[in-house]
Amino acid sequence: MDPGIYKELLSKVPRTFVPSLNEQFRRWDFLFPSAQRTLKAQLDWLAGLSGPEFKKLFAPLIEVESRMELPNWQPQTVGIGIEDAGMLARSPHYGAWRTEVAKVFTRIDEATAGLNPLAHIPRLLVCSLPSGLPIESELWPDLATRGQWLALAEPPLKWERSMVAVLARRRLPAGMEDVEGTWIVECSPRFFAGAGPGAVAISWERLAAVRRVFLSRLNAIQRDLKSADRTAGDLDKMDLAGLLGSGLGDRPRVREFIRKLLLSGNGSLVFNNSFTEWGAAEALLAAQPQMLVAGFGIRPKLKPFSSTVLFEDQHRNNPTQDEDDLAGSLIDGQMLSQYVYYSSQREACYQDHALTLFMCADLPRLLVLGPKEPVAGLEALLGPLTLRQKIASGDLTDFLLKWLET
Amino acid sequence: MTRRTVLRLIPAAVAARLAGVARARPPVPGKRLVLVTIGGIRRQESFSAQGAVNIPHLMNDLLPQSVFYPYTANEGVTSHFNTISSVLTGSWEHVDDWGSQKPTRPTLFHYLQTQQHTRPNETWVVTSNKQLTANISPGVNVILSKQLLVEAVERIIQGQAQRRQLERDQILEEMRSVIETDYERIGWGVPSASSFQDPEVKQTFITAISNFIHGPDAPTSGDELTFLVGREVLDRLAPSMLMMNFSDVEVAHSGAYSLHVGGIRRSDLLCHRLWQFIQSRPDLKATTTLVIMNEFGRDPDGSSTNGFFNHRTNTECCRIAWSMVLGQAVRKPQVVERTIRQVDMAPTIGSWMGIECEKSEGRPLPELAS
Repeated sequence: MDPGIYKELLSKVPRTFVPSLNEQFRRWDFLFPSAQRTLKAQLDWLAGLSGPEFKKLFAPLIEVESRMELPNWQPQTVGIGIEDAGMLARSPHYGAWRTEVAKVFTRIDEATAGLNPLAHIPRLLVCSLPSGLPIESELWPDLATRGQWLALAEPPLKWERSMVAVLARRRLPAGMEDVEGTWIVECSPRFFAGAGPGAVAISWERLAAVRRVFLSRLNAIQRDLKSADRTAGDLDKMDLAGLLGSGLGDRPRVREFIRKLLLSGNGSLVFNNSFTEWGAAEALLAAQPQMLVAGFGIRPKLKPFSSTVLFEDQHRNNPTQDEDDLAGSLIDGQMLSQYVYYSSQREACYQDHALTLFMCADLPRLLVLGPKEPVAGLEALLGPLTLRQKIASGDLTDFLLKWLET
Repeated sequence: MTRRTVLRLIPAAVAARLAGVARARPPVPGKRLVLVTIGGIRRQESFSAQGAVNIPHLMNDLLPQSVFYPYTANEGVTSHFNTISSVLTGSWEHVDDWGSQKPTRPTLFHYLQTQQHTRPNETWVVTSNKQLTANISPGVNVILSKQLLVEAVERIIQGQAQRRQLERDQILEEMRSVIETDYERIGWGVPSASSFQDPEVKQTFITAISNFIHGPDAPTSGDELTFLVGREVLDRLAPSMLMMNFSDVEVAHSGAYSLHVGGIRRSDLLCHRLWQFIQSRPDLKATTTLVIMNEFGRDPDGSSTNGFFNHRTNTECCRIAWSMVLGQAVRKPQVVERTIRQVDMAPTIGSWMGIECEKSEGRPLPELAS
């Protein structure tokens, strides 16, 4: 990718777009194929607009910008730091700016939607809660109204790993790279072992070493924004390959994804389930995998004192014994798995093209949400309406495999 | 001699000279404001059919005695420092979110200090929010209670303290040490060293943190400490104006929904305990108005900003907060369904206290006494 070919375009786009676009160009090699395709399609479409069309698209946004006090960005400025983001966010015109940005992207997305060759392939999300949760009421009541509960012959604990292993080894659609095939984001390594080397498998527990390094650096930040920006810059350059090991550290795109994930807050360094939710949401946005498994887990109870310092390892210097917070983990897991689904529904390639399974390892039923159109094979799997059957794991796996390989 | 020993000596020397003055109790003022702000809480987790379970005291015990404004718009920056600044100044503030700048207009504290010539111990801020620095209103006593706890814990964890374990008495000793030697560095603001070295003031903190550390529950909550310090300030110093900020709900930024909801429930409980305490003291009961406001909501489920984690969307879910007024400024308990703005509270309460918020852009609320 040569950003030079978009030099003229960069000189015309709104000022607030330039640092972000430069950042995308700088990280081009680390963008996943879907992001590269999308960005290129967007830039090509913008570059092809006539002068009046271009002006019509951006004029309201540029007008809002003209009323804002903006950081001293230069044409070559790369990325938006914490200090600059704060300046934007406290502008009296920030709300109007966000509204106009959303309008611009709605228009761009509409115009380029048909240019993604993998936009319409069948996709699958699996959100799995762990064993041992104290389930006393119906799970996911809000989502249940949009989907269907399926009765299972056996709870997922007995078969979910082997199902994921089979599905991860499926044939990928033509034109899809390995890194877009299967992603597993999980608290503990429940699913990754059988998923094969092609899958991207990221687990909170397996990242303990790199999390520890990031936490220790973040704990050393002085209480000012410049210090925070400086630390973020240092961590952005740190060599992570060794810390991540093979399978993650030697895949540059995945390595940089993990770095960005751990630097982007949202609890990814603090709570295992937040890591899983935010990691899954970011993967859906950045990599758009055909299949994504989000494996939630059980977090420990907060310990006295050290829990007040959120950026801290709860084990250090704290004599209080570890104790699981089962009730809290159930609440968190339900909410955050919903958020994974919501994230998918913001991406066109998952809307009406994805099946989403919500399941809990101990529960002999699962909630399925799907496209508006009937899904081939689903009715057959369920059996006659008057005699719904308990679904065997093998039948479910076969059905999902056919769905993904359609 | 180190910076630390200098810091330790100077306030002590000044305090010794001014001890007589500093110990004098201020006259009981005619009117007193206790303002509580709570971080971001959405309607769906609070004043709604499904959220009411999280706020039993606000809903059932306090609301019926209050003037309640369920629709209180935050039209400013939905960040903590800017929102609290806006509430205090009665104008929408757009300053640095991290408290490195002062609000651009005078706060209620400032108006009180300049128009009623109050003494240093008459205006206090006790806060869990680390973004609320002493810049919130110069000349006010600003106590970052949670930061004190955080500092003590960090010093032990990072091996900077003589103590090595996070055990109750060791934490207490470390907190005492920070108060004695390092309070300035952790961001506490005091109008003069003498007021801070006043034995009465010091004892206020020592009592509060001792109660916290040796309390019946496992001390995991910064808001619990803020409450205890704030209550001691009320009990011992009875200032004209006290603001407390609860922020346990902000654990939402790290995505633990259960802990966020736990923070809402704790805020509910602490607000009720605060009201009960005020009602238990005749002098406070006769003079105090308690205002409770959430700063904003949070982002809606499904938003591109990761829903409840954050509070930066331009949505009703994020911008519409609520306000509850209890005590002396209440003419008649009622629920006022019209939408008001957060900046309306400062000129209204100011008017009740006999001060004029000249530079506020808010409008007085007629339901409250002026």
